[in-house]
Amino acid sequence: MELLVYLLLSGLTTGSLYALIALGIVVVNKATAVINFAHGELFMFSGFVAWMLHVQMGVPYLPSLLAAVAFGFLLGAATDLIAFRPLKNANIISLVLATIGIAFMLRGTARVIWGGKGDYLPFPPITSPEPIMIGGIMVIPQQLAVLAGSIVIMVAFAAFFRLTRAGKMMQATADNAKAATLAGIRIDRIYMLSFGTGAAIAGAAAALMAPLTLLYPDMGFSFFIKGFAAAVLGGLTSLPGAVLGGISIGIIESLAGGYLHSSFIEVSAFIVIMFVLVVRPTGLLGSTRFRRV
Amino acid sequence: MLAIQHLKVSYGITQVLRDVTFEVPAGKIVALLGGNGSGKTTMLNTLSGVVRCSGGSILFEGKECAGLSADNMVRRGIVQVPQGREVWPSMSVQDNLELGAATRRDWGAMRADLDEVYAMFPKLAAVRKRRAGSLSGGEQQMVAIGRALMARPRCLLMDEPSAGLAPTIVGDMVDTILALNRRGLTILLVEQNIGVAAAVAESAHILQGGEITFSGPAAGLVDNDEVLRSYLGR
Repeated sequence: MELLVYLLLSGLTTGSLYALIALGIVVVNKATAVINFAHGELFMFSGFVAWMLHVQMGVPYLPSLLAAVAFGFLLGAATDLIAFRPLKNANIISLVLATIGIAFMLRGTARVIWGGKGDYLPFPPITSPEPIMIGGIMVIPQQLAVLAGSIVIMVAFAAFFRLTRAGKMMQATADNAKAATLAGIRIDRIYMLSFGTGAAIAGAAAALMAPLTLLYPDMGFSFFIKGFAAAVLGGLTSLPGAVLGGISIGIIESLAGGYLHSSFIEVSAFIVIMFVLVVRPTGLLGSTRFRRV
Repeated sequence: MLAIQHLKVSYGITQVLRDVTFEVPAGKIVALLGGNGSGKTTMLNTLSGVVRCSGGSILFEGKECAGLSADNMVRRGIVQVPQGREVWPSMSVQDNLELGAATRRDWGAMRADLDEVYAMFPKLAAVRKRRAGSLSGGEQQMVAIGRALMARPRCLLMDEPSAGLAPTIVGDMVDTILALNRRGLTILLVEQNIGVAAAVAESAHILQGGEITFSGPAAGLVDNDEVLRSYLGR
């Protein structure tokens, strides 16, 4: 019983991070119908920026996290300018390849700056690393901090998306880009804002996750796959679906690792992607209309 | 008010509009008729800044507008109600209307305009929180018109407002168009339904194969054998 609760809690924690990564993927996909394959690298790069500020320069944790968010936004907007805007009318394969190109560039740059393959950089925990016992359950305070941080970011994003004019313009563009253009919404800017916002959420996720694990330049792809699995599970265009998908993947991984074998942790996301695509291609909360992906 | 002169539009090597010249005088309703593929929608999309013209000019209130972007056309006062309604289906009626004013920053006046749209379409006020996609075709058309009004247009471009509506509410649409005109709006109406055009418009132009082939008063359209033959093929 204690094991189950422990596994559920740690699954929920990593799941909330996957949910944030998935949210970024979905925000971009909703607006542009493109999967940004550089999303994992945007996540990794922002995480390293937080690490540089916090560990190397001694900046306090919270400002470092905000800097990672801001940096993620700029990097996402740059991805739009370099890989999306010039290719907007090209076919989907070209667009996806362009984002893969961005991914390789970012990964290469990160290797040059922060060391070669195999260098893992530690990020100090922001809370006491000692586990505490709550009602007989072993809890690592850092996990609770990550969980709380993720929830704050999700709520902030939901408020931005639903209540602000810019957020509504993003939703309108995703709903019907032609109508948005005719209403005078500059959809090029909205695409840029979507790439930026998606990457900003990834930046927040990276800075939240860093104290739980180690940073390395090649981490992007494995986190991208987790986030992508979560987004696919949630339906690729549903924001609540992304959150639900992320938490599900986190818990599935955690239970598979705890009860089956730790080697299942890495493959469970792939199994989920395959299963969803075969059984329910529209995901849990996806719309049934077909998109051009 | 709106003067289109020698307008040419091509998609690749296909010329969609060859040499189109006509005027929409201030305060009038002008109908643009034509069969499928005649270039009517391209005409409106060029006026909306969505399609670039390859030649000619678009003068609006004396100023050249050809080549302006879509948002700048809206700012100048030319706003389109697209065919097929094209609301934002997952957003509320109120959000749809408010985003119609996407180019504006005068928040106080926007509130007043919103109240005015609700006064004009009381049905919408009752469903303001509902998702626009869940409304009937006629209600969605009201949302699309209300959304365009929120941009404070001086010239409204309407692309087949009667298309897809139940015959019983086409009459309401005619009344709405006339009411908008009485409020001072200049309207360029693209229609397939010649009866609707004749009921509201002062003058009409027929577009065929990318050229204006007939211009004249709209009232006589339904009795004009030449027009009916060339346009409707009977």
